[in-house]
Amino acid sequence: MIKVSNLTKRFVGRTAVDAISFNVEPGEIVGFLGPNGAGKTTTIRILTGYMPATSGSAMIAGHDIFKESLKAQQRIGYMPENVPLYDDMRVKEYLRFRALLKGMRGREAKNGIAEAIDLCGLSEMRSKMIGTLSKGYRQRVGLADALIHNPELLILDEPTNGLDPNQIRRVRKLIKQLGLSHTILISTHILSEVEMTCDRVIILDRGKIRAADTPKNLIKHLRTAGHISIEINAAADIAANAIKKIPRVKKVIKESTEQEWTRFTVRAESGTDVREDIVKLANENNWALREIHSHGASLEDVFVELTQSPPTD
Amino acid sequence: MAFTITACVLLGIIILCLLKFLAGGTGLVLLGKELRSFFFSPIAWVVLALVMLLNGLSFTAALADLREGERSVTLTAYTFNSIQFWLAYFFIFPVITMRLFAEEQKLGTIETLLTAPVTTIQLLLAKYLAAVCFYIILWLPSLLNFMLFQMNSTDDHASIGSLAGSYTIILLVGMFNIAIGCLASALTKNQLVAAMTCFTFCLLHFLLGFILQNLSVPDAFRETVTHFSTQIHVRAFIDGLIDTRQIIYYTSFSVLLLSITYHVLEFRKWKV
Ligand SMILES: Nc1ncnc2c1ncn2[C@@H]1O[C@H](COP(=O)(O)OP(=O)(O)O)[C@@H](O)[C@H]1O
Ligand SMILES: [Mg+2]
Repeated sequence: MIKVSNLTKRFVGRTAVDAISFNVEPGEIVGFLGPNGAGKTTTIRILTGYMPATSGSAMIAGHDIFKESLKAQQRIGYMPENVPLYDDMRVKEYLRFRALLKGMRGREAKNGIAEAIDLCGLSEMRSKMIGTLSKGYRQRVGLADALIHNPELLILDEPTNGLDPNQIRRVRKLIKQLGLSHTILISTHILSEVEMTCDRVIILDRGKIRAADTPKNLIKHLRTAGHISIEINAAADIAANAIKKIPRVKKVIKESTEQEWTRFTVRAESGTDVREDIVKLANENNWALREIHSHGASLEDVFVELTQSPPTD
Repeated sequence: MAFTITACVLLGIIILCLLKFLAGGTGLVLLGKELRSFFFSPIAWVVLALVMLLNGLSFTAALADLREGERSVTLTAYTFNSIQFWLAYFFIFPVITMRLFAEEQKLGTIETLLTAPVTTIQLLLAKYLAAVCFYIILWLPSLLNFMLFQMNSTDDHASIGSLAGSYTIILLVGMFNIAIGCLASALTKNQLVAAMTCFTFCLLHFLLGFILQNLSVPDAFRETVTHFSTQIHVRAFIDGLIDTRQIIYYTSFSVLLLSITYHVLEFRKWKV
């Protein structure tokens, strides 16, 4: 559905997108994850034909977005970041305008509008001025606009940005539901969002793709171990120092003490398991150990590791 | 000969652009939306009311003056040469053109427009034509004044040639100034900046003849520039002299300004 190869976008004095390539297959929900300023919006604007790339190519459903932009744009339902809308139009009017603009006429337009209003739960707001709507409803109007012409591909730039938790949950549910019949590319800087909604994640940082895989695989294969929590009956300082001396242990954090019991969180190097070493150490020193538990890496760990460490390549 | 060729080329460009504009009906949808936003905003009605008021005043003043005795000018010339008329005139353009692109750029809706299957030329022409339509509607009430007068008067005071000339030049200068306004609005996100730029350049063009009168510049230069002076064109047209040279001049400069606006929008599209 989307084929991007070697896409580069340079602004004056900075490269926002640096030779990225990726594909999105029909039917997938793909999350575009990256911290602010990573280049997500820039990539999306190129994909939707709003700005051209400095070099590289992008195909949408077999149409080159630069050469056949109108044909490609016909296939895309796009919701820009911050959902720009006309405040002085009514919801119904706005959707009607957008439907006509996308080439729908007569009954087709009417049905499209009715369906979009239904799907996005806007029936009560259909005659309201857009300017009076809450942020959550504005987002839904943007979404209704994006899917009004029943496009194969939905591109949503930070669809839950600025919503309260209830609204976020509703929007996510809607996205999941839409995912059954559309290919979706959503950009976000919120991890739990991709973990919950996406089949595949592309992690973008400083204009480069750092990883692209299913959320599960990312967690499994990436060079990150989780952390281990232990509760031990020993003098806190001595125990901490001893654990730190175990090879491959990177960090020992004292969490709390409860009488003679102390809780530690231990972080070790990626892909290693130091639980055995800790147990051995406790035995050698005759420290009582009442809990040892390894927490699997979360996507958050992956994300932090990928986007905070200086790029290795 | 060269003149005819210019006219033909110009006509060709205009027809080509209009065809592109009408393709698929998208242009008309945009035009409808633009007209709607004119008439749903209070600005349009305020401008309409004020222009009617000032036109009415200058018309009444002209009538009063003519009643005093024989004059060598027509009623039309009197009306359109009054100070009130020109004062009101240059406030129209900034007000009707400032929002066109500046607002879309401020709201970010230019992104939703240009990522829909819409070409920049359709967007540009829709906005321009909407402003021109509104401008034409603005002058209809004043035309009514003359028609009412005509119906009630026994003689043929408002000579038809003079009337036709006046409205032709008003339309021509209007199209030109609206094109200036479009360009100014495309250059900025800020409506006030767009309005000021438009106002300044419209007025500057109008006053070209005036400004040079007191400057010490070579006579040849002064004479050349005077050809561009709206003032002089207006006088000729009000006397009923419909000059095709002027028609070509204003149309071609409108086309030129619109094509610059087009490139500004494309550049924006590439950069924002
Ligand atoms: N029009 C522009 N001109 C110059 N720099 C820009 C422009 N748009 C974005 N950038 C820069 O490109 C980088 C990526 O921005 P963006 O794609 O908006 O990131 P994201 O959406 O991932 O937060 C940012 O550092 C930003 O400053
Ligand atoms: Mg962004």
